[in-house]
Amino acid sequence: MRCLIALFALILAITSTATGYAQAADTPKGLFLMTDYPSQTVRAGEVTTIRMKLNNAGLPPEPVALSVSGAPAGWKIDLLGAGQTVASAMPGVNQDVALQLRVDVPKDAQPGSHKITVSAKGILMQAPDLVLTLTVANEAPAKLSIKSRLPSLRGTPRSTFEYTVTVGNDSGKDLTVALSAQAPANFQTTFTDGFGSNEISSIPVEAGQTKDIKVKVTPPRDVKAGDYPVVVRVAAEGATAEQRLVLQVSGQGRLALSTKDGRLSGEAEVGKPSTFTLVLSNDGTAPIEEVEMSGTVPTSWKVEFNPKTIPSIAPNEKKEVQVTVTPADKAIAGDYVASFRANGRGETASADFRITVTTSTLWGAVGIGIIAVALLVLLGAVARFGRR
Amino acid sequence: MPPSAAHGALRRAGSPFTGLGPVFMKELSDHLSSVRMSVLTLFVIAFGALPVAFALQDLRNVVISDPYLFLRIFTVAPERVGLSFIVALNFVIPLMAIGLGFDSVNSEFNRRTLSRVLSQPIYRDALLLGKFLGGLATLAVALVALWLIVLGSGLLLLGLPPRGVEVARGVGFLIVAIAYGGVWLAVSMFFSVIFRSTATSALCALGLWLFFLILWPMIASAITLGFAPTQITSIDQYTSLQELGLALQRLSPGTLFSEAVVGLLNPETRTLSFVLPIQMRGAIPEAPLPLDQSLLLIWPQVTGLIASMIVVFAAAYVVFQREEVRA
Repeated sequence: MRCLIALFALILAITSTATGYAQAADTPKGLFLMTDYPSQTVRAGEVTTIRMKLNNAGLPPEPVALSVSGAPAGWKIDLLGAGQTVASAMPGVNQDVALQLRVDVPKDAQPGSHKITVSAKGILMQAPDLVLTLTVANEAPAKLSIKSRLPSLRGTPRSTFEYTVTVGNDSGKDLTVALSAQAPANFQTTFTDGFGSNEISSIPVEAGQTKDIKVKVTPPRDVKAGDYPVVVRVAAEGATAEQRLVLQVSGQGRLALSTKDGRLSGEAEVGKPSTFTLVLSNDGTAPIEEVEMSGTVPTSWKVEFNPKTIPSIAPNEKKEVQVTVTPADKAIAGDYVASFRANGRGETASADFRITVTTSTLWGAVGIGIIAVALLVLLGAVARFGRR
Repeated sequence: MPPSAAHGALRRAGSPFTGLGPVFMKELSDHLSSVRMSVLTLFVIAFGALPVAFALQDLRNVVISDPYLFLRIFTVAPERVGLSFIVALNFVIPLMAIGLGFDSVNSEFNRRTLSRVLSQPIYRDALLLGKFLGGLATLAVALVALWLIVLGSGLLLLGLPPRGVEVARGVGFLIVAIAYGGVWLAVSMFFSVIFRSTATSALCALGLWLFFLILWPMIASAITLGFAPTQITSIDQYTSLQELGLALQRLSPGTLFSEAVVGLLNPETRTLSFVLPIQMRGAIPEAPLPLDQSLLLIWPQVTGLIASMIVVFAAAYVVFQREEVRA
């Protein structure tokens, strides 16, 4: 027991003599310059800010001059307080003053460790020097990754190809990634946010995170069947990544129905067949098979096509079809609409034809005949009853 | 020996139209200078001008573009009058024709000038035809004047010229109107040949006109109803019934006139007969017919008017030839 008390007294004595000013063992008195991480890594060509604080523990306040020493040649080191360069600080009793050490490392800084000493010195008191060890590291380069789950899509010239691409930021800092795509001529590419509809040209990706973006590719309508590559490129701070997407465009036929001179009207006499020439053309990129003609005409009219079906129309080919329309015997003169349609394996084309129905002039002749008969009656009367 | 008994069966020498020219000119000048003509002209202008004046006021406010705007002057029924120009003419033309013709023969007879005229080298044929043509020419002069007034006021108030097609349709309308007047002129002359009293012939002609104007539509529908079966079972029955009614209506010259005029002045008119909706399926509504088709459409009506004019005149001629003219 005595031994224990003696040890305690010894410790007390040592601590009290070591600090000099100590009143109690757990509350040291004095001025202290502190930082959380005295040893740090800095990158060449970058500015690193180190947080520091000046602590006054139980001493009367007084201005404390601050100084930095030991900076390697070319380095620019500033002490900042509240955003301004400061040369002295004045912490209150038992209070802190926040300081920042702004270290501007030149690009050509030698790798290795550099010791920088920060000291704070007042008239009465002095803080122990704070020695910071700054290690210049080789810069970890920005690194991007890009991948697509479905890099190859299939469709027709009229479809829109939508790819989902995942952009990853594998570097240690946040990057703003610029997006670009290299597509064949007249292909339209747009980037949209994962679920948004706004078109984007760049997207911020946090360090270590990934983002989904959509790439929409619209091929021109007249594109021929085949595979078309689209290279999506992402770039940020010198780092790039590429993903090759493939559009498999299958050909598609496109029917158009018109006449030779484009005139969609004609005349037809009541009860008599009239023939018009229609022109079927394929403006698409694939042949159209088994095109069948049909028509909608007013009630009890007749419509016939010659030929009724066309086995195949190659792209950019034109085929002529004769259509014979017979207005009903009792059709009334005037304009009517007849619709002609061509239908081939999912491709349709239609044209509304305006048919002016004319009536026969036969009845006009009959009318003149009736008038002639009336005149004959009169002449007969003159011949019979005429007198001197 | 009475000439009718002695020479009735004899062939005559020379043209029956000898003396037609003088009779025609005399009739025309008599008509045009007569007080009756001035009264009739005033009557026509009053009836024709009023609908046209109001129609023009209505048309000036029309904003939609109408390719046949000029023809609407004739057909539009102004709200304040409720009577379009052609409906007014349907009343006025028969009145005018009857007014010109009801005493053409019997007044000469009563004035004892008929035998004097016929003692000249003028045949009865020429006399009757000359009187008819004189009346028709008078009527035509009045109608052409009225037509020109309408056209001119249209030009003045609408400020746009009619198109060629519109003028052609207007001329067609004029011809139909003259033919319609000719029918009633022939009818009134027929009565003036039959009856010695001018009052009787006027009364008969006006009575016939009123009969066709008012009574005939009712009688026609009554006859149609009489022909109707107790229950109409098919579309054909219904159609034939409607067509019977229309055919009966068309015995009236007024119906023929109004149908022909509607076909001419309303180019959108596609048919004048009964039409089932199924026949109009696929038709473009409001599409105007070309002029030749409109003419074909109204040709039966025009034929009917001209033929009945000739036939009635022939009947008057036959009666006149057999008549005793010496008083």
